[in-house]
Amino acid sequence: MSVQYQAVQWNRQKRWYDSVLAGGVAFYLLAFGAVTEHLFPNITEEILLMRAFGTAAFLLLHIILCIGPLSRLSPAFLPWLYNRRHAGVTLFLLALIHAVMVVTTYHAGGDTNPLVSIWISSPLTNSVAGVPFQAFGFFALVILFLMAATSHDFWLANLSAPVWKSLHMLVYAAYALLVLHVTFGVLQAETSWRYAGVMAAGLATVLGLHWAAARKERAADRELAAVAADGWVAAGTVADIPENRARIVCVAGERVAIFKYGGKVSAVSNVCQHQNGPLGEGKIVAGCITCPWHGYQYLPETGASPPPFVEKVPTFQVRVNEGRVWVNPRPNPAGTRAEPAVIEP
Amino acid sequence: MSEDFYIGWEARSGAGTARRLRVAVAALLVLTTGLALVLAAQQHTIGTSIFEWGTLKPFTGRLKLEPYPHLLVTRPGTTGDQAACSTYYLVAPLKHGLERERFAALDGQRVSLQGTLIYRGGETMIEAVPDSIHAAGSPGSTPSGPATVSLGRQTLTGEIVDSKCYFGVMNPGQLLPHRACAINCISGGIPPVLLVRQQAGPAIYLLLVSATGKPVNQQVLDLVAEPVQITGDVEWQDGLLILRSDPATYQRVGK
Repeated sequence: MSVQYQAVQWNRQKRWYDSVLAGGVAFYLLAFGAVTEHLFPNITEEILLMRAFGTAAFLLLHIILCIGPLSRLSPAFLPWLYNRRHAGVTLFLLALIHAVMVVTTYHAGGDTNPLVSIWISSPLTNSVAGVPFQAFGFFALVILFLMAATSHDFWLANLSAPVWKSLHMLVYAAYALLVLHVTFGVLQAETSWRYAGVMAAGLATVLGLHWAAARKERAADRELAAVAADGWVAAGTVADIPENRARIVCVAGERVAIFKYGGKVSAVSNVCQHQNGPLGEGKIVAGCITCPWHGYQYLPETGASPPPFVEKVPTFQVRVNEGRVWVNPRPNPAGTRAEPAVIEP
Repeated sequence: MSEDFYIGWEARSGAGTARRLRVAVAALLVLTTGLALVLAAQQHTIGTSIFEWGTLKPFTGRLKLEPYPHLLVTRPGTTGDQAACSTYYLVAPLKHGLERERFAALDGQRVSLQGTLIYRGGETMIEAVPDSIHAAGSPGSTPSGPATVSLGRQTLTGEIVDSKCYFGVMNPGQLLPHRACAINCISGGIPPVLLVRQQAGPAIYLLLVSATGKPVNQQVLDLVAEPVQITGDVEWQDGLLILRSDPATYQRVGK
């Protein structure tokens, strides 16, 4: 969290993250390049670079796409999520180098402007050859650029979380375009079953993890059935909630995080104002609800970040009666104090 | 620091988190290495072709502009009417063929030039420096090349490639990933060649010309880099295998 914008707020963990990221990418590029040069010494350098950076980008995209659902399935993967945008910017740079190599190698040096050539030099035909796989790659690169360019919290705050989130969900469109780009491009030439197998395994991993995470989410989204005469909803027992942790319930279509801490119970919206992270999977740290994604913090009684921070989430009124927790389904405006319910001894 | 809860803005993570991360990073490194090895080793479209980029060599021989510019060079140790020739396709730098109009006056003449050698299998090409091409002595001192030999009418299935990239400037320079480049090259005047891959034996290359022996660059663009079947008259001329056929009769195969 920060009250002013900096390019990167470095700390020890972030330096480790970026070191591992840069080292991993460099290692992959060197390994791919060395093996290719050894086995196929006649390959031309520009195509070696094109292939090394293209495969590195596609592999990194798979890793990035897996981090989200893995984090939903197990908190052990949350450290991979925290600086995921650094991986996204790296992905864009890898893809950009691949694209520059393609344009300068395949499209420059002829009678046509290279940027025009991308669109007209590979005519559409009624055959696999006529599928515009380079156009798929171009549009994916545009999406990756928009995401990389707006990855900083400055843009998140100024575009608003819903707009920013929608923009960054386009990564799935980019992935679909790149699957088509690879399928109708290099896989039409490099026809080893191992390539198709690696591609299929990657796609199955991404889809499978998202399906598993969605299944887990759906289970948590079951509406609570027990409703009192005054409209409050029964949300389980106090004993269901671990100390300094929360239980997430679905009330009137909205996820609510009910925290237990220091003999009290408070409820806030489950959606972090920063990137819509699941506050209910967070923890009370130093008296504040702490988001598991990026560590944004809110006071449980008010849903407001402690000064000087200004983020706020809606709160909900709660009461505890004979060990059962009840929630008023009507949210209070963000940052409104809701008296915590005291747990009877 | 929270031992069981990761907060990225803290200076350090908990010991358990750090241990799990080390294991995960090591596993990811193993996976990455394995994928790099598999993806690199399984490439099968990279052939044995050479582009002596950066190395200019002098050449002297008879320039012929039809059906596509080429140079007949006397092989060392052969002379007079018995002289044997090596045939080099001639192209200009980048994605351009040699300008016929500019060198029309030298057609059939003995010329000298500077250029960069490109070769694959028995096929040879020179990326000539256009300004270096000059007349070089008596036309009689270089043989005119072997007579044309007809090999009959044949139906062949293969892929239309741009000869410059396929013979060595790009490796691999074939199939769909290279399609746009091949189309740019052929459109720019690089000779189109039908690459016929054989189950047994080396691939063969046939220079594509119209039924009347004219260049077909602009007519074949839609069919580049995919399987095509062409029926035409095959002949051996100046050391080049030539396929005469009307491009309108070329047929896309499958897909």
